[in-house]
Amino acid sequence: MTPSPDLLLMLLADARLPVAGHTQSAGLEPAVRDGLAAAHVPAYLRARLRTVTAVEAGVAVVARAHLLDGRPLAPVEAAWAARTPSAAMRRTSRGQAKALLRLAGRLWPDAPAVRAVLDTDAPSRPVALGAVAAACGLGAAELARLVGYDDVQTVAAAALKLLPLDPATSTGWVHDVLPDVEALARTVRDLDSPAAVPASGLPQIEAWAETHAVSARRLFSA
Amino acid sequence: MPDHTTPTPRALRLGVCGPVGTGKSSLIALLCRELAATLELGVVTNDIYTDEDARFLRSAGVLDADRIRAVETGACPHTAIRDDITANLMAVEELEADYAPLDVVLIESGGDNLTATFSPALVDVQVFVLDIAGGGDVARKGGPGIERADLLVVNKTDLAPYVGVDRDRMVADASAARSGRPVVALSRTDRGSVVELTTWMLAQLERHRAGALVPADPGPMAPHAHAHPHDHLHDHVHA
Repeated sequence: MTPSPDLLLMLLADARLPVAGHTQSAGLEPAVRDGLAAAHVPAYLRARLRTVTAVEAGVAVVARAHLLDGRPLAPVEAAWAARTPSAAMRRTSRGQAKALLRLAGRLWPDAPAVRAVLDTDAPSRPVALGAVAAACGLGAAELARLVGYDDVQTVAAAALKLLPLDPATSTGWVHDVLPDVEALARTVRDLDSPAAVPASGLPQIEAWAETHAVSARRLFSA
Repeated sequence: MPDHTTPTPRALRLGVCGPVGTGKSSLIALLCRELAATLELGVVTNDIYTDEDARFLRSAGVLDADRIRAVETGACPHTAIRDDITANLMAVEELEADYAPLDVVLIESGGDNLTATFSPALVDVQVFVLDIAGGGDVARKGGPGIERADLLVVNKTDLAPYVGVDRDRMVADASAARSGRPVVALSRTDRGSVVELTTWMLAQLERHRAGALVPADPGPMAPHAHAHPHDHLHDHVHA
């Protein structure tokens, strides 16, 4: 029996999923170092959802569609790379993909989508997520919600390490942007071709990512 | 994907853990200095708030800088070596792939506390390091690493007279807490102790190559024969 999509989504969105999620701050660490305060974090979350996270969610949805139809992944990867101008962010994404695929190769070793992505050279995280969704039967909208929710929770969890906070406050931020996550999912759920992926960067986040990559004092990998 | 359930000719993975400041990086530098001429080595460090340890080792000049990789742990040094070892496994496998065939990969934990030990899924064998200047009673207090790591190193023994610690007494306490598992009283200035350490490591490498090395978990605060159950509460005191 196939597990329910709800349960699969819980599994994949759980911070306890062993994909080295504890090493990530979704760009919050260099932002805080540059003066971003706790009061700015909700705006930071929304800014990401409208820009870099929209790219990631869009690529994940298109990768899933390509994998389900047996279409090539190269144009999807190219669309992602073209919309991710920061080399540091591309490296981070590929590292996260590696961690995710290490797990996916164990959970769904025979899934053609997972095999196909494992056979490509240095895939991005959204393409790996697309493969996981294809392998376990997760729908496009659920996949997009997963990408948005995971990004928000990554920032919120890192905020507890970087900024002094009552955890109920950061959980409130997550709760309050859930409609934004849903709006993101609605925007990208029906995307089918790489060209349709939103081309929405956020230069300040990209610049912070580049600064962080050469910083000598880092709590988080990125 | 590597399958950890079948034997492979991969490098021996040696973990070095113990509280902050006990000399983990120096011990790794020492091993590299002693063995880099005869063995192919790689190092993975787990720093808590900096790549200080990786930079220290690179600047020590004991190993090609690219053979020393740092893993950031997001302030979760314990998680990175025990619960979710993904980032460390990736770093180890990348080193092994870039410099195949490696003989030994040394993995340094982020200095944490007395309860942090490596998952046997990450390392084949592990060393727990204590600083003699941390106090003669630390070995007696015990904890999974002190009691059940494959090797306990009581480090910086040359400092014993300056900090009022009886070296032999501390080693005897440690040996008693460890039910006979090996203890090395190490000082960089004591050549005999350095040879004792490298001899132990080379013996582990031989066991690994012979397929006779089965990684053992020092464990969380499991009940054991050498302390009363209520003592285990003390294991939770963070260094």
